[in-house]
Amino acid sequence: MSRGGMRVMNAMRLAAEQRSRVLVDRPSTGRLHEPVVPTPASPAEQVETTLFRALAVLRLVVAAYAVALTVARFDEFARPALAVADLVLLLGWTAFVSWAYDARRRRRLRLYAADLLVAVVLMLSTPFVQSEAMLDRNAATMPTFWVMTPVLAWAAGRRWWEAVGAAVVVSVAEISVRREVAGSTWGNIFLLLLAAVIVGYAASILRTAAVMRAAAERAAAMHTERARLARAVHDGVLQVLAMVQRHGVEAGGELHELARLAGEQEAALRRLVRADARSLAAGSLTGGGDRGDEMTDLMAALEPFGTARVTVTGPGGRVEVHRDQARELTAVVSACLDNVACHVGEEAPAWVLVEDVGDAVVVSVRDEGPGIPENRLHQAAREGRLGVRESICGRMTDLGGRASLLTRRGLGTEWELTLPRRRDGGSVR
Amino acid sequence: MIERDRTLRVMVVDDHPMWRDAVTRDLESAGVEVVATAATGTQALTRARATRPQVVVLDLQIPEPNGVEVTATLVAEDPSVRVLILSASGEHSDVLEAVKAGATGYLVKSASSAELLNAVRRVGVGDTVFTPGLAGLVLGEYRRLAEGTDASVDAKLPRLSERETQVLQLVAKGLSYRQIAERLVLSHRTVQNHVQNTLRKLQLHNRVQLVRYAIEMGLDDELG
Repeated sequence: MSRGGMRVMNAMRLAAEQRSRVLVDRPSTGRLHEPVVPTPASPAEQVETTLFRALAVLRLVVAAYAVALTVARFDEFARPALAVADLVLLLGWTAFVSWAYDARRRRRLRLYAADLLVAVVLMLSTPFVQSEAMLDRNAATMPTFWVMTPVLAWAAGRRWWEAVGAAVVVSVAEISVRREVAGSTWGNIFLLLLAAVIVGYAASILRTAAVMRAAAERAAAMHTERARLARAVHDGVLQVLAMVQRHGVEAGGELHELARLAGEQEAALRRLVRADARSLAAGSLTGGGDRGDEMTDLMAALEPFGTARVTVTGPGGRVEVHRDQARELTAVVSACLDNVACHVGEEAPAWVLVEDVGDAVVVSVRDEGPGIPENRLHQAAREGRLGVRESICGRMTDLGGRASLLTRRGLGTEWELTLPRRRDGGSVR
Repeated sequence: MIERDRTLRVMVVDDHPMWRDAVTRDLESAGVEVVATAATGTQALTRARATRPQVVVLDLQIPEPNGVEVTATLVAEDPSVRVLILSASGEHSDVLEAVKAGATGYLVKSASSAELLNAVRRVGVGDTVFTPGLAGLVLGEYRRLAEGTDASVDAKLPRLSERETQVLQLVAKGLSYRQIAERLVLSHRTVQNHVQNTLRKLQLHNRVQLVRYAIEMGLDDELG
């Protein structure tokens, strides 16, 4: 190849490298400049927005009432101009605040505070607007019923006791403009406090319910999707792997190795699909993966041991044990299976059976090896090799259970691990 | 052997042509007569009625009606038919359901053709074919039934005898019937009978439950 040709080749290679570098770089720069996507409203926020829309309608109704009442008694006011100013403020604020409450990001503390302040200002303007006669007969204040809407806003959007605080503020303002506090005033105050508590509490329940429903819907959708995937996997991949395994074993030679690999992949994939189904089923029942109270599913912990040579069998469904117990028991089973691989052979078949007998869980690990000679364990212990004794028997005793060994020359080895259940979560040691 | 197999009439049901053909080929090359194949539940039921197979090799995951329903219908229409479940996805609850519906054998698809042939022959002569996994599920099912709230009320609940429990446990631990017979000093036939009984009781209970449910729902008139 000519020198020029080489140069061209080099240039092309460089260009290709640069291109690939650009491709590699892109995701990271992309992440840096990721646009700020507005997060979708949470279910709780959606509930709030709905409540505030209802409140906006209520505001309009009580604002109309305030307007009507002001017009009706317009001749009586000491300062009619101030009465008009009050109305302008009330209507203007009603329009503004209904818009402002409509979006989650505008529902800040200062908006709630401003809303309350407007109500208090309108309330406190009453003695300056109304005539002596009106004040003497305890006439309705300037904002009339409108004063309840900021309190209800606090109830809808904040905690119920904060709403009660807002109601107290409004009540104090009302008492301060009254010459004498009549029975009807006390009645209003009582109703206002009651509304703050009830609406506040109801809103919090609605929020929780919406969150729970959304979570349930999400779980259901996930479950459907996983089930669909599992079916697809089942129909396609598992079948092909099983087929490869079957033909490979019969063909022998190199294909035998391929068959073994296919078998391992089949077992791994099947486990994955099943574990998903199991955790989802558990999640939909308890509202979380594992239960909060330290209990866990022993089958989920032991199923990963299943391979083409190790068969893991259980009663179907969850086998609940304490989390610590599951961890220790898994370690013991692992030690048993290591023993099989070590003393019988890497390819030797083994069986793990989990039985849930109510007050105890029994796990058996069996192989078909030569068995452990009668005195081998004692001999090993005497020689200071505590492997089996320590890792299997010792651990089981620590757990408050026991390990028994059934072995006969030529008939394989069977460990039976019995673990008494502890449901309290306390220690048995 | 070949002579006897000539009379064994088998139907193969699987929606995957690959598997249907492989299983059919294996069976036919061993001298078993494959009288029909089917890809869906509907096909399976129609063709079984027309060809009256003795053994149905059935994949559970087939287009509607599914394997469990097909098993129930097949056994209801012809109690002498034997259903062998061949499943790719391992021991799931639907395997247990199929067994409760009347299947008497279960094999995973990764089993060799020799194992398949052996299973078909054994199911054909009325034996039950268990995997360790299925034995574990059946054991679990009996324990669940015993733990249920109505356990004390319902005297008709199926229970395992001590021997049956022992045999099932050994099957679940991977022992062959011959090994179990040796260990428990029983005849091979007795072991086989114990395994069969565990299934029969479960199937009977299942049927009783279905009838009871039908009566409760007021469907008994229609069932007539």
